[in-house]
Amino acid sequence: MVRYIVLFIIITSISFAAKAADEAKIEVPLRFDRYYSYNDVIKALEALHKAFPELTTLEAIGKSEENRDIYALTINNTKTGDELNKPGVYVDGNIHGNEIQAGEVCLYYANMLLTKYGKNEKITNAVDRNTHYIIPVVNVDGRYHFFADGNTPSSNRSIRIPKDDDHDGLYDEDGPDDLDGDGNICQMRIKDPNGNYKVDSEDPRILVRVKPGEKGEYTLLGYEGIDNDNDGQFNEDAEGYLDPNRNWGYDWMPPYVQQGAGNFPLSGVGLKAINDFIASRPNIIVGYAFHNTGGMWLRAPAAKTIQLIKSDVTAFDVIGKEALKITPGYVYKPSFELYPTYGDFTSHLFFNHGAYGLVGELFMRSQETYKNDDKGVKEDDLESLRGNTQTARSREQLQFNDNVAQGELYKDWKPFNHPVYGPIEIGGWVKMSSRLPHPFMLQDLVHRNASVVLLSAENTPDIKMQVFNVKEIDKDLFRVRVRVENTNGLSSMTAQAVKDKLYVQDHLKVSGGKVVAGGKITNLRLNKVNYKQTKPEVQFFAMPGHSMVEYEFIIEGKGNVSFHYFSQKAKNAVASVKL
Amino acid sequence: MLKKLLHMLLSGFLLFSVNQLTAQSKSDFIQYHTNDEIQQILKKYTNRKTTLHTIAESPGGNAVTVLEIGSDLKDVPAIFVGANFEGNVPLATEGALYLAKMLLDSAAYTQKVKWYIMPQPNPDAATGYFTDVKYGRTVNDYPVNNDADDALNEDGFDDLNGDGFITQMRIKDPEGTYIISKDNALVMKKADTKKGERGEYKIYSEGIDNDEDGQYNEDGEGGINVGIAFPHLFPRAQSEAGMYAGQTPEVYGIMRFIYDHPEIAMVYTIGSSNFCIEPPVGGRKGDANLDKIKIPNRYGRMFGIDVSRTYTMEEVIEMFKANVPAEMEITPSVVAGMVGLGAAVNPLDDDLIFYKKFSEEYKKFLEEKNFNLETLPPSPAKDGSFELWAYYHLGVPSFSMNLFSIPKEKVEKKDDNEVPSENKEEERESEISEKDKALFAYSEKEWEDSGFVKWEKVNHPKLGQIEVGGFIPYLETTPKAEKIEELVGAQIPWLLQLSNKLPDITIEDYKITQKGSGIYTLELFVANNGELGYPISIGQRNNQPAPVIIVLNGDVELLQGKNRTPLGSVGAHQIRKLTWLIKTTPAPPNVTVKIESVVFKNEVKQINIGG
Repeated sequence: MVRYIVLFIIITSISFAAKAADEAKIEVPLRFDRYYSYNDVIKALEALHKAFPELTTLEAIGKSEENRDIYALTINNTKTGDELNKPGVYVDGNIHGNEIQAGEVCLYYANMLLTKYGKNEKITNAVDRNTHYIIPVVNVDGRYHFFADGNTPSSNRSIRIPKDDDHDGLYDEDGPDDLDGDGNICQMRIKDPNGNYKVDSEDPRILVRVKPGEKGEYTLLGYEGIDNDNDGQFNEDAEGYLDPNRNWGYDWMPPYVQQGAGNFPLSGVGLKAINDFIASRPNIIVGYAFHNTGGMWLRAPAAKTIQLIKSDVTAFDVIGKEALKITPGYVYKPSFELYPTYGDFTSHLFFNHGAYGLVGELFMRSQETYKNDDKGVKEDDLESLRGNTQTARSREQLQFNDNVAQGELYKDWKPFNHPVYGPIEIGGWVKMSSRLPHPFMLQDLVHRNASVVLLSAENTPDIKMQVFNVKEIDKDLFRVRVRVENTNGLSSMTAQAVKDKLYVQDHLKVSGGKVVAGGKITNLRLNKVNYKQTKPEVQFFAMPGHSMVEYEFIIEGKGNVSFHYFSQKAKNAVASVKL
Repeated sequence: MLKKLLHMLLSGFLLFSVNQLTAQSKSDFIQYHTNDEIQQILKKYTNRKTTLHTIAESPGGNAVTVLEIGSDLKDVPAIFVGANFEGNVPLATEGALYLAKMLLDSAAYTQKVKWYIMPQPNPDAATGYFTDVKYGRTVNDYPVNNDADDALNEDGFDDLNGDGFITQMRIKDPEGTYIISKDNALVMKKADTKKGERGEYKIYSEGIDNDEDGQYNEDGEGGINVGIAFPHLFPRAQSEAGMYAGQTPEVYGIMRFIYDHPEIAMVYTIGSSNFCIEPPVGGRKGDANLDKIKIPNRYGRMFGIDVSRTYTMEEVIEMFKANVPAEMEITPSVVAGMVGLGAAVNPLDDDLIFYKKFSEEYKKFLEEKNFNLETLPPSPAKDGSFELWAYYHLGVPSFSMNLFSIPKEKVEKKDDNEVPSENKEEERESEISEKDKALFAYSEKEWEDSGFVKWEKVNHPKLGQIEVGGFIPYLETTPKAEKIEELVGAQIPWLLQLSNKLPDITIEDYKITQKGSGIYTLELFVANNGELGYPISIGQRNNQPAPVIIVLNGDVELLQGKNRTPLGSVGAHQIRKLTWLIKTTPAPPNVTVKIESVVFKNEVKQINIGG
């Protein structure tokens, strides 16, 4: 139905989105004064890989529901070690199809690591010491359709598994329709003397509610669209809805409990592919999923009832509290404090893959200011400063649009002949607004957020080990003392993973001599050792951030004895001594 | 009436054919079958009306297959049958094969229903029954490092006495907490310190601490237990469940297959619980009380509702209806989502009605066959089990059946006139549980007393002299192979009977009232002639079962009502009325009404308006 309507529409205006897609050639270094379409993202990744073939691996790790490739870029300097032997840093974005600037943060992070490698010491270290796994676009179908189709800033989040939202036996048959063909789904309003809205006295683009008894001018008809399935409702069964951030395995709940959960954990084929990708990279110790919007760093858990172990909270805080300083205006909190969710990605990452998982909610719309008192005032404060807050804020946002964004964020109301309603007006915020910064603000956003990822890379565990004391206590019997240190802020293994027996626990193994006894030194000055009852040559433990432990071994024999610290996530450490 | 007659005829035919089956195919059900044999049987069963689907490959490389019977049928409800999810009940697999055989030998139950039969969802674990040393394996070959040490599967059981069974070992130890029961020297009981008893033995499962970590047999082969790895009440704390539901490919493949077939309107599980006899149990904490619903603050503000008190579901629906657009349907499922009622964890009261009713019928069915019902009770369904998932997540009737339970030991009737004994020793409660008594009696009667390995001295490589003994694995679930045919033959036919109870949605009648000026009211009466509602109560709560849509077509204008109207729920034997206000121009034409559903027959009725 909509196709026929669109056919009749003469497209007169060139949309903001169309302009964005025609930007300059994609080359390294990448530019961040623009948004990349799905195809552009692939081109950008290919350009990075082509420019730095030694440092990168680019692979399609799976297909989406609509058969698009999901790409992962791995950055690792193979000269400094194998991929899986270095602490892994994972970054993804755009799991919700409309949250596109998350993809730009990922691209920026890759671009920054690669173009500044060998030039900037911090970045060189991060490339040499860590493996970086970057999936700029999780919801590839979503990104494709966000650019290609008419959308609101908030539509097209879902992955493309059809769902019968209105329970009428038809799937995805009544989404919004881009009636004026401008690439945006805006609002519809109709002149109505009995309507409950009138235009704002200062800015006629804004509609304000009439007071009781006051005459109205307009009725708001909701988002642009028609009743495609003729059921009396508009736009009630759009694509999906399967929320790709409610479909993960940890603490998953069915759709009647958690909207958008999907029928079963990882029913999304692209998500399953990403899960398999992460599972086969057990070195990943920290991971980011970028979203929009609001300016937040969110950590596990996603439900109030789930308690984290204290040392894991401490590790999260090392990142979270520093991140706040890099991204002014952000807040850092457990994700359930925003709202509780089931089946979210970062909880899955934390509980089922043993990696510290954080969500970055990009962009604060409060940064769209048009006033002379800007000191980075928060939206909440603004509200208390002014009288009619909503309208005042709308006026300012429109002035920002008019005078700073050159009118690219908002479409003025224009008449349209609706097939059902007759003469109406269509107008409002375009899809590339509200949740997305205007491209001129993008550079700052991607840089600050990528810097937080870099901060986590710097904080991935670094295990150092030394034999600090050897004493012959009898003939061919030695007391050897070993010190293990984690000099960085993240644990070598989450306390949760140790508790859940998620995978092989970190351990210290002695080889070369016969270990008669061995254990953790509980008091070095008093020579107190907690000896392990059996198999003293293997000691199981893990190293929290900024921690140090000492072990003692009584070893029979002569010659070389070596000590290996094995960790699935941290780089393994070795020390040896000749007895 | 005709239907009843037909039904009688069909049942008669079935009985006849079952007898025939017994005579013909004895060879199939006198042994327990290995994975390869099962696949061969399934291949043998394929014909032009069946399809064999491979839906997953286990971590051990075994195929998980589903036999579709009735591939030629369209627009009919389907029943999914899964058996032996935990892999340690080989009899359940035989039951599923027997059911398939019955369906293939007689056409009676494949006219209006399609069947999907999955006899072996956990093939890796099922190999455990055929290995030289048996311990009742339930896990697949998924690599799980249960003790998180530096080795995988390094500390499994060890058959110390070489009898082919993993039982228990008892070790004399000053720190022991067990003593030998006074009532039966084979039974170990916990020493009761309050009675001054002092423990003498430690008890472990039979084996060696192969990895010297102080624990016995904590990291054997595998794996994940498919039977507890589904997402309803997924028991993450149990290492055998894996880390999340569907982590192992069998479970993922089964869930994918079932959701790809929304025509599945009923699910049977053959295993160790028995919803056919004992309805699913409730009383679990944490379930929402639908009579005392709290309204979150934000809806309180939005809708002007007093949040300090609680409301019934009906009250909440009314309050919400008053505040949302008229076309927005407020159902219990919508309310549950909005106010965050959480997951249902107890069977809903309305559903327990049919469970109880059918249970009574089933008991009669068995009594008529002189089937012994005086047995130990079936196991309750486990958290993460397939049968619970089918009920709570698919929202369809889920019936389970265990095909064998140990007969209860017959208690000798006390003489009513007997004078109460003065001897306290005789009066005290026996230290032997009813279950153990029944197992000993069963072992003696059916297994020539070999169901319990009597404690024998064994030289343990680490512990020195110990004793090994205990009930053998599979004793409780797996009778001798010669009993298979009798057991499945008596019980499995009930699953065919149950298939007759499926909901059956048809257009019963209609009524046209002329209002004048070409305007008519059309009232349509849609009946559910089945013995189960559609959806059942849990299906209404979770909104998962595929909807039934009544489609009205014709060159008319609808003043009220829609072209496509969701039927909503229709209880067993109930009728639902749908109404349209129709304007016809210029001449009174015909309209058609159609039942559109992926589950039921898509019936079309011509209606001559004004004619």
